[in-house]
Amino acid sequence: MSEIGQNLRVVEHATCTFCGCVCDDMDLTVDLDAKRITKAKNACTLGRAWFAEHTIEDKPPARIDGKPATTAEAIEAAAQILAGARLPIIYGLSDTTCEAQRQAVAIADLMHGNIDTTTSVCHGPSGIAFQGVGESTATLGEIKNRADLVIYWGGNPAESHPRHFTRYAVTPKGMYIPNGRKDRYVVLADVRRTPSAPVADLFLLVKPGRDFELLWALRALVKGRKIDPSIEESTGIPLATLETLVERMKSCRYGVLFFGMGLTMTRGRHFNSGAILALATDLNEYTHFVAKPVRGHGNVTGADNVVSWQTGYPFGVNFSRGYPRFNPGEFTTVDLLSRGEADAALIIASDPGSNFPKRAIEHLKRIPVIVLDAKDTDTTELARVAFRTATYGINTTGTVYRMDDVPITLRPAFDSPFPGDEEVLTALKDRLRVLLNEKRGGALRKAA
Amino acid sequence: MKLAFHHRPEVPIEAEVITPEKLAGLSEAEVSALPLQYGNERVPLGEFFRVSGRYEGEILVEGDLSRVKMIGSGMSAGRIVVDGDAGMHLGVGMSGGEIVVKGNAGDWVAPDLSGGRITIHGNAGHLVGSAYRGSAMGIRGGEILIHGNAGNEAGNAMRRGLIAIGGDCGDFGGVNMCAGTLIVLGRLGARCGASMKRGSIVSMQPAPLLPTFGYACRYEPLYLRLYLLHLKRLGMSVGEAHIEGPYRRYSGDAIETNRGEILLLDA
Ligand code: SF4
Repeated sequence: MSEIGQNLRVVEHATCTFCGCVCDDMDLTVDLDAKRITKAKNACTLGRAWFAEHTIEDKPPARIDGKPATTAEAIEAAAQILAGARLPIIYGLSDTTCEAQRQAVAIADLMHGNIDTTTSVCHGPSGIAFQGVGESTATLGEIKNRADLVIYWGGNPAESHPRHFTRYAVTPKGMYIPNGRKDRYVVLADVRRTPSAPVADLFLLVKPGRDFELLWALRALVKGRKIDPSIEESTGIPLATLETLVERMKSCRYGVLFFGMGLTMTRGRHFNSGAILALATDLNEYTHFVAKPVRGHGNVTGADNVVSWQTGYPFGVNFSRGYPRFNPGEFTTVDLLSRGEADAALIIASDPGSNFPKRAIEHLKRIPVIVLDAKDTDTTELARVAFRTATYGINTTGTVYRMDDVPITLRPAFDSPFPGDEEVLTALKDRLRVLLNEKRGGALRKAA
Repeated sequence: MKLAFHHRPEVPIEAEVITPEKLAGLSEAEVSALPLQYGNERVPLGEFFRVSGRYEGEILVEGDLSRVKMIGSGMSAGRIVVDGDAGMHLGVGMSGGEIVVKGNAGDWVAPDLSGGRITIHGNAGHLVGSAYRGSAMGIRGGEILIHGNAGNEAGNAMRRGLIAIGGDCGDFGGVNMCAGTLIVLGRLGARCGASMKRGSIVSMQPAPLLPTFGYACRYEPLYLRLYLLHLKRLGMSVGEAHIEGPYRRYSGDAIETNRGEILLLDA
């Protein structure tokens, strides 16, 4: 960190937590008087917008029923709601630190509730597929240094993860990729020609909803089975193109399949993820091949990791009986809410009030909702108790997992008058423990 | 014995106690005192059900039980009749006896079934007779009869047994199937039989097949006739044409062993 003026300061090697790339090479110029970031060197357009918009707003630290309140009052109100609930749910967690996520899991465990993250609406299907098929995996560093065949499937990184191409997988020079872009062959498969398409040497325009059939045909070809030329009619890709691609896949030195929500959130879901993971596994008969989901939110990967190491399952975990149970479809938030089942909700750093299906939002409006967010959102609008918290990575430190499961420590740029998510959740947990102890007749252990 | 469900719960109930083994030999008062899992609390069964009579081979459960999960859990003998809809995980781990549901059933009908019979007169949700996530094995025996439609992944990873669906079934019917029989009198959804190793999937309508299934022959399989006559006797709407055939046989999944089959009625 270096001082460059009385009220300006530069924070070097700061981290952008806007998308799953979690670029940790930011040099931030901070105006300490105005409490804002004036320049973010190395950031892409999305990152620059993220740093620019997170200023300190002159708002109360909490609201109860829309009226300003102190953080302490809000913690009391939130604890009372959760202590009285039969099926309280926790949701969100993808835009906060691992330390806060850990407190959230502790709360779910304590109150015998349900915990789920935004993974269930993005790569949850991949989580199911990992369990069923397994994952041949690698870090982005390894991919940068070794991969000479890079395939993107069902994603548009140019617009969603702008530095994925330049920092990790397409253009950078690596140890065994001395000429960068020239040493790599890039394939993109999608149902429409997105702004990412020009980067590819080969673009596969897949008929919508036919990814599974296409992946299945590729798997069959890798295994030496015959595929009928009618595959072109059903998927939009000629058999000859597939055969050439399969030859290329089998003969590359190191291949990678990156897949996005175009695969996981369309018809077939976890089977689509499973098919691409299985394709990578099949290819290991011939060469080294890995598959990685391209994750969206800054710390959604951290959410998977924390929920997994604490409960044994990545998302959609229920503690009603006092021990963790995993069942996507039953314990995932959209499903619980759409069936009208939860009776209280604690939403952390996410906005289901704007992006969930209508039925789910309607149920959220019927039950008491507690929200932690750095900004006003549709969800804070409908909340009974809303906390305004500091922004992770900008105001608070902590740990974030990059999309390849590499943990990165955050360097905050300036202080916020608002508490961090971890602080609020820890206080909520402590108060809840006291209330539940009374309710359950002192049965809960004292220690954390 | 009759259990009348008298008020709608706010959150789902898990009622694994509603099963012959747990209720046999108990008085009305004792049954009323058995625990239900109501959200994160345990409440006595009597809070939601009016109990009358003693168990003499049949439990009649009345009301809208769509929020009551795990009815008939682990049952090995006897009979349960649900006069209304049933919730998720109906007959989980069942090894014998019979469950009849007059309305619809939720997701996960009879996971881990190894024997006995479940009949649903209405529709069923997703994952009928399917493996739980993370488990390599679906049902290992028994019969599941759905008179209406079923959702996705019916018979996921099934190893043995019979699943019959009177209406249509969703996508990925018989996915990962190891053996056993899935008969759909209506339409099959997309991608049926993906990754199947052995087993039979039958439909009376044309179906979109994966590129890894190849046409084998056209014939009248004798075993299918026996299955269909059995289903007809059990009241499913099996027609003469279904019994007569012939069927077009497709073998797959070529990605696996190619020993599975999809039989489509060639009317
Ligand atoms: S690619 Fe993502 S993490 Fe990197 S600067 Fe852009 S928005 Fe931030």
